Amino acid sequence: MSATFTPTNATRRRKRRRRLYITGQALIGLVLLIWTLLPLYNMVEVALRANGEVFSDSLFPPHPTLMGFWTVLTENYWYVEHFWREMGNSLYIGVATTVLTLLIGTMTSYVIGRLRIKGAWMVSNAALLTYVIPMSFLAIPFYRVMQNYGLGDNLWAVILVEVTFATPYAIFIFTEYGAALPLALDEAARVDGCSPFGIYWRIYLPLMAPAMVAVGVYSLLLAWNEYLYLILLLSSEKNMTVPVALGKFLNSDEAPWNLMMATAVIYALPPIAIYYAFRRYMTSGLTMGGVKG
Amino acid sequence: MTKVGRRTLLAGTAGLAAAAVLARPNIARAADSKTLEVWWNQGFYPAEDAAFHALVAEWEKSSGIKMNLSMVTGAALDQKVVSALTTGTVPDLIYSDDGTALTLPQAAWNSKLVDVSDVVETQKNEYSETALRSSQYFDNVTKKRSYFGVPFKAQALNIPMWRPLIEMAGYQMSDIPNTWDKFFAFFEPVQDKLRKKGQRHVYGLGYTISTNGADPNNLFNQSLIAYGGAGIVTPDGKLHADDAKVHKALVDTLNMLAIPYVKGYVPPSAVNWGDGDNNSAFHSKGVVMTPNDTISISTAVMDNKQWYYHDIVTQPMPHDNNGKPVDVMLSVPQGFIPKGAKNIDGAKDFLRYLIQPKNLGNYLKQARARWLPVMPSIVKDDPYWTNPKDPTILAAITQGVLGPTTVWPSVYNPAYAQVDAEYIWQVAIADVIHGMKADDAATKALKQATAIFAKYQTA
Amino acid sequence: MADHSVAAAADAAPRRRARSFWRGGLQGSDSVWALAFLVPYIAVFLLFVVYPVGYGLWLGHNPALYVELFADPIYLKTLVNTVVFLAIAVNLHLFLALLLSGYFLQKGPWVKALLLVFILPWAAPAIPTFLSIHWMLNGEWGLINNILYHVFGVENGPPWLTERWLTFSMVMVSYIWKWTPFWTVILMAGRTAIPQDVIEAAEVDGAVGVRRFVYITFPLLANLYLICTLLSTIWTLGDFNTVFFISGGGPALSTNVLATLGIRDAFLIGQPDLGMAAVMSALPLLIPLVILLMRRLAQSRVQL
Repeated sequence: MSATFTPTNATRRRKRRRRLYITGQALIGLVLLIWTLLPLYNMVEVALRANGEVFSDSLFPPHPTLMGFWTVLTENYWYVEHFWREMGNSLYIGVATTVLTLLIGTMTSYVIGRLRIKGAWMVSNAALLTYVIPMSFLAIPFYRVMQNYGLGDNLWAVILVEVTFATPYAIFIFTEYGAALPLALDEAARVDGCSPFGIYWRIYLPLMAPAMVAVGVYSLLLAWNEYLYLILLLSSEKNMTVPVALGKFLNSDEAPWNLMMATAVIYALPPIAIYYAFRRYMTSGLTMGGVKG
Repeated sequence: MTKVGRRTLLAGTAGLAAAAVLARPNIARAADSKTLEVWWNQGFYPAEDAAFHALVAEWEKSSGIKMNLSMVTGAALDQKVVSALTTGTVPDLIYSDDGTALTLPQAAWNSKLVDVSDVVETQKNEYSETALRSSQYFDNVTKKRSYFGVPFKAQALNIPMWRPLIEMAGYQMSDIPNTWDKFFAFFEPVQDKLRKKGQRHVYGLGYTISTNGADPNNLFNQSLIAYGGAGIVTPDGKLHADDAKVHKALVDTLNMLAIPYVKGYVPPSAVNWGDGDNNSAFHSKGVVMTPNDTISISTAVMDNKQWYYHDIVTQPMPHDNNGKPVDVMLSVPQGFIPKGAKNIDGAKDFLRYLIQPKNLGNYLKQARARWLPVMPSIVKDDPYWTNPKDPTILAAITQGVLGPTTVWPSVYNPAYAQVDAEYIWQVAIADVIHGMKADDAATKALKQATAIFAKYQTA
Repeated sequence: MADHSVAAAADAAPRRRARSFWRGGLQGSDSVWALAFLVPYIAVFLLFVVYPVGYGLWLGHNPALYVELFADPIYLKTLVNTVVFLAIAVNLHLFLALLLSGYFLQKGPWVKALLLVFILPWAAPAIPTFLSIHWMLNGEWGLINNILYHVFGVENGPPWLTERWLTFSMVMVSYIWKWTPFWTVILMAGRTAIPQDVIEAAEVDGAVGVRRFVYITFPLLANLYLICTLLSTIWTLGDFNTVFFISGGGPALSTNVLATLGIRDAFLIGQPDLGMAAVMSALPLLIPLVILLMRRLAQSRVQL
């Protein structure tokens, strides 16, 4: 086809197509930007309002102020009077969930993918059975189970629930990712006299780093988005977390929506920061072998 | 080798798990009389919680018992309570704002609560009659009605209105009629006139007809009584679906709530409001009035003196269409002790301490009269409650403590609590909005209610 | 990134040799290690999956519960909604993610910057963001209709949350907003794993643009895409937050899904066994999905 065009025509045509392409790309980008940011704008906009102005229906805060954020950070309102402790608990749960998920996930996938004992597949299949009954429905059973294990009102109860629901996915990703790593490396290490643990620690884990970043972000966000289990399994004040504090606002007469949204915005920052810090690894880490099928 | 290994491994881990489960008696809290595990609904104001903490500290000193107190917010608490009652792993004492509606009658029916008659008896002469009647539930195992909750506060509907909006429409507050239908109809021309004055998106009637929260049931059931439908459930726990008077009252209530909506006098989003949404709509002056179960709309803006003392006027429920005062439905939140509690004596001791009129009065006062006292003497002995300079509190007390009140039907039978929880009436309102005749919608809803009552046969 | 190229460079021949090496040489001490490494997960599985799931199933085992469940007039509506949600929202957001994964792999600094913004809905906590959307959609005073009025002069914007299907569409839109970024990242990973030489070869053969997508990219991504669809469907069946915070199941209980109905029955009606029954009524759908997922995964491994 292109042979029928003179060179100048072809160049012009290519140029026009290129311009069209750029315009299209930019247009899609603009739509995506508005689509993504509108609900978030609404949050930030309310967070920036002064105390008496949360009810005005203007598109912008009439008198934008950072007082809401300051109030939360200095714990200067009774719903957020323990904000930093709550943030600490949330971080504790998030970090512990992430570490445990990574540890258990890699150990299991190491056996499945590298040690290859017969029937190890059964483990990863069994893991998927976890998803037969959705998480939110096991709330009451978990309440009882945790009491039986002596974990009533204990942060570890929540951590273990999150780990339970994060590991099947972690095992799945790790096994897929690990399948692409050359077994020759293991072999060489073995010849040098490395034990299976040595191989796991010195060879397997470093190679799995990108996948671990990806799964780590996933499990952190799973724990970060939790609400139901936090209120169900924890009760005392010293074990309160930020989502529970957010829930308090919903029950309020005073409607301090600016403070609620300020709290929410601050709460959203740690996972965003972590995601940004590790974003290089995200795409490579989530690569699944499934592509080749 | 590997196969055997796997089996050993499975057996090993299973053994570990079993050991953990069997170790339960050692881990679980043993019965003890020195600590008290309490779940208490979080208050609405810092001072309210502070007053409660002070009360607890006093009691701990005198009783020598240490209270492990968990202050939890409403919705979260309800889920914890259901979980605890289902699994049998319970605290010693529970108080939940919303629990009165469903949890208490249901748990009492299933014989999951400890009889607290001996606690209530200590202040029997002080309590209002409605408070006493509201805490007697039917236990379907012992087949007896008894006190399973200890009442200590109450709430009832009232209606905050924006004076500036009504006056902007060209009316005086004294123009507002005080009989049921005329009262609600008054706000329709108010809206029309405000719209003409350029008030975009202001609505005359701000009531909730959604299937969320407590607000939609509060107004529906109160209206049902105003139209003469109080006999829908009798104190023996029976539903009277075939009673012509009940049926007529239902039809009237459905029409009263659905027709103004169709005509555009209620915000369209009211079919999807939660309990907080009507407060927000009112505070942003999107509606001229909104029925609310407490005076929280006013107390939330107490710091704004202009709003609290002048602009927002709290109106008690209007009289019925014959001009007679309507019995106001009083919901009476109660503390209760689940069976399986480890320290029943301690829980009862605390409740006895709490309901001493002096202690209770001090505590409730810190909640800005958001809660009504259940003992008339508290109101009579302390000028705070009837201060003429505070018309909001005065209106609420005059209606809910000193005026005629009545019991929610769910006290007589938990089936009615389920009727409310399934929002059978609100679905009927939606049916009418979508063109079904109110008569048919009422019949359909009553059929559903009958099916629920069939599960709870009292006789 | 470097690790990845190592992986891509891996030759098939030594791998086969290594595999036989492992199989042949699995010694006693190895299986002890293997078992020791499996213990943590098996313990988690028994303690936190088998026991609670078993207890849950036991709660919902009474056949009378199902009679009661099916007699609930909103059950059928709920079932229809659930199916619609799975059929439309899940597929739509995965398809969008598939397209966007290509979009975000284009060159250019601002595309990368845009990706960082685009990821925010996934990273932000669910409750306040959904609440914010709920307010935005208020027909009278919400941000959307305010914008329509102030910017476009539309006097009465659509009543977003007061008619069943419009409301349910808004629920699905919110879901798509929240979860598309996650799957976009996953599918981007999938696309980057396609060997560059395959793409170059395709380009030589004249497969560019849409044709390349249809004939080369999509077939290579198909298995991953299917796995994503299965996982997303399974997770979405249990998703409670979206419906609960956007529509609350209203108006007139017409926009519930099985997850919210189950929670309502358990906690608002106070019948946890009935709530469990609501979920179990989804098992005829869930179990085949899980089995299909298992088989798909096993298959993709065999081919590796």
